[in-house]
Amino acid sequence: MKTHLFVILFLFVAGALPAQTVDIKDLVRRADEKFRGSSSIGEFTMTIQRPSWERTISMKNWTLGTEYSLILITAPAKEKGQVFLKRRNEMWNWVPSINRMIKIPPSMMMQSWMGSDFTNDDLVQESSLVKDYEHRLLGEEKLEGYDCYKIELVPNEEAAVVWGKIFMWISKDELLWLKAEFYDEDDFLVNTEILTDIKQMDDRVIPTRMEMIPAEKEGHKTIMTFDQMDFEVPLEESFFSIQNMKRVK
Amino acid sequence: MRTNLKIAWRNLWRNKRRTLITVASIFFGVLLSAYMTSMQEGSYEKMVDMVVKYYSGAMQVHHENYWESKSINDTFEESQDLNQLILANEEVDFVIPRLESFALASSEELTKGVMVVGTVPEPENRLTSLKNNVRQGSYLSDNDQGLLIGEGLADYLRLGINDTLVMISQGYHGISAAGKYPIRGIIKHASPELNKMIVYMELSNCQEFFSADNRLTSLVVNIKDNDLLQKSLRKLRDELNSPYTIMSWQEMSPEMVQQIESDRAGGIIMKAVLYIVIGFGILGTIMMMIAERRREFGVMIAIGMQRYKLATILFYETLFIGMIGALSGLLVSIPLLSFQSQNPIPLTGQAALVMEDYGFEPYMFFSTEPSVFWHQAVTVFLITLVIALYPIFSANRMKLINALHA
Repeated sequence: MKTHLFVILFLFVAGALPAQTVDIKDLVRRADEKFRGSSSIGEFTMTIQRPSWERTISMKNWTLGTEYSLILITAPAKEKGQVFLKRRNEMWNWVPSINRMIKIPPSMMMQSWMGSDFTNDDLVQESSLVKDYEHRLLGEEKLEGYDCYKIELVPNEEAAVVWGKIFMWISKDELLWLKAEFYDEDDFLVNTEILTDIKQMDDRVIPTRMEMIPAEKEGHKTIMTFDQMDFEVPLEESFFSIQNMKRVK
Repeated sequence: MRTNLKIAWRNLWRNKRRTLITVASIFFGVLLSAYMTSMQEGSYEKMVDMVVKYYSGAMQVHHENYWESKSINDTFEESQDLNQLILANEEVDFVIPRLESFALASSEELTKGVMVVGTVPEPENRLTSLKNNVRQGSYLSDNDQGLLIGEGLADYLRLGINDTLVMISQGYHGISAAGKYPIRGIIKHASPELNKMIVYMELSNCQEFFSADNRLTSLVVNIKDNDLLQKSLRKLRDELNSPYTIMSWQEMSPEMVQQIESDRAGGIIMKAVLYIVIGFGILGTIMMMIAERRREFGVMIAIGMQRYKLATILFYETLFIGMIGALSGLLVSIPLLSFQSQNPIPLTGQAALVMEDYGFEPYMFFSTEPSVFWHQAVTVFLITLVIALYPIFSANRMKLINALHA
């Protein structure tokens, strides 16, 4: 009798354990998807802050899953009309003023995008937060009044990922991604992302303001605000083509 | 004294052969030394020219952070006040405002990293004679939208006059810089290295490309006389405040200065060896001369000549030998080197290629700076003075009895 009870209890506990790991991965997946949707069209404003100057760029963004995205710069005048296309892990840049299509080579992937604190690689984001990492729940913290899970993400051996480690804070209730810290392979903090201004956008509630703060540079910051977003819009893969880069408005 | 001099002079020619041989050794020493120094200084002059005349100018005014960062964000606004302030100094000849940065340039299929120099055509030409270097097409005019590119670059990108060059870069405050421009002219830059990567643009056109409205990376300050450089630099440094700073070409190219100094030091060692050998040669002659005339000296002193007068005569004799040698050396080397500097020796074959690789024209250049010559004269004079001490001692210490028995 006692052995039976023991076995049953053991099974319960054993059953519960794998459920916990799936939970975290699932959590990250859902938070990530909430942010992106299966497709979207949005209007963003990016402000680059430096110790002695500040610059603002406006853009329109189309995404389809994690593989395709197209960005059209709408302001300022000198850069208006430039288009960036991402197809899987390749990136192109169309510069209308010189009538040139430039393919961004892998060597340029770590260079800053448009002078901001985001790199070309950040935009291309060929790595998936879900598939390419091992997730571990570190605990719970309170951020901006929200109860959050603190999750550690460690990249898989074969994954093509530039980070050594990422910490993510995801709110328990709405699964809002509120903060992330990116560490390099030597465990030095490289970037901090802080997301605020939780608002209703189309069919969901998401943070609409993202601050990217590089750790090593005093007074450097890039702020991205999502002014307008529509999710689950009908977009075809054919929209994300080089020819379309020259036509899109 | 005049008698002593006369006697000394006549004594010299009593043994013509010995005198002439000694004088000849000094003569050749001076000639060779002057020749070598002239060659060295000539090549240094060319090296300095390469930096100063064809590129950086005597001094440049920058934003205080520019030299470290070389970033287009560390630029300063062009201001007439600054220009006036600098031009008010009498040593200053003229100024050239410039905006320099890097860009990627491409023709249809080929791309290369280039250095873009935005400048004002007329003053630029005054400093670097850029107009003379235009091999095809024409020089930039004011408000020209076109570019001048180096021959090496034109060859690599396979572009000719009126072809389009596309350039992209990051401009001021991170704004994308992108533009296409017609090639107005192709130049052969004095520096073979710059020839492969330089693009000249008219200043306001360049500022527009980089979205650096009215901004400059440097203000080139040219002075009337290069000897006044340090003085002018000190004055201007006092007058200029943050965020401006001024640098001389030596501060901008310290490697060049060090190269020249170390080469010069090597030359000094060679000359030192040469003069030591000559010095001992003269000493040898003087010693022989004294030994040979020992009896004569003994007699002179015995009959009443004061030792110091004998010493003086011998001193003058030594001095005369040195002076004749030096003078004749100079008299020959000055016209010779003047001719040589007008007609530098061309180098051919491998040596020429190596020179060009390092950015020099393949010639041996000669300098006719006065210092090349009077350095030799002074050195010979000093050596002779030192050697002339020997006969003085000898005359004063001479044992009369031994001399008479010689």
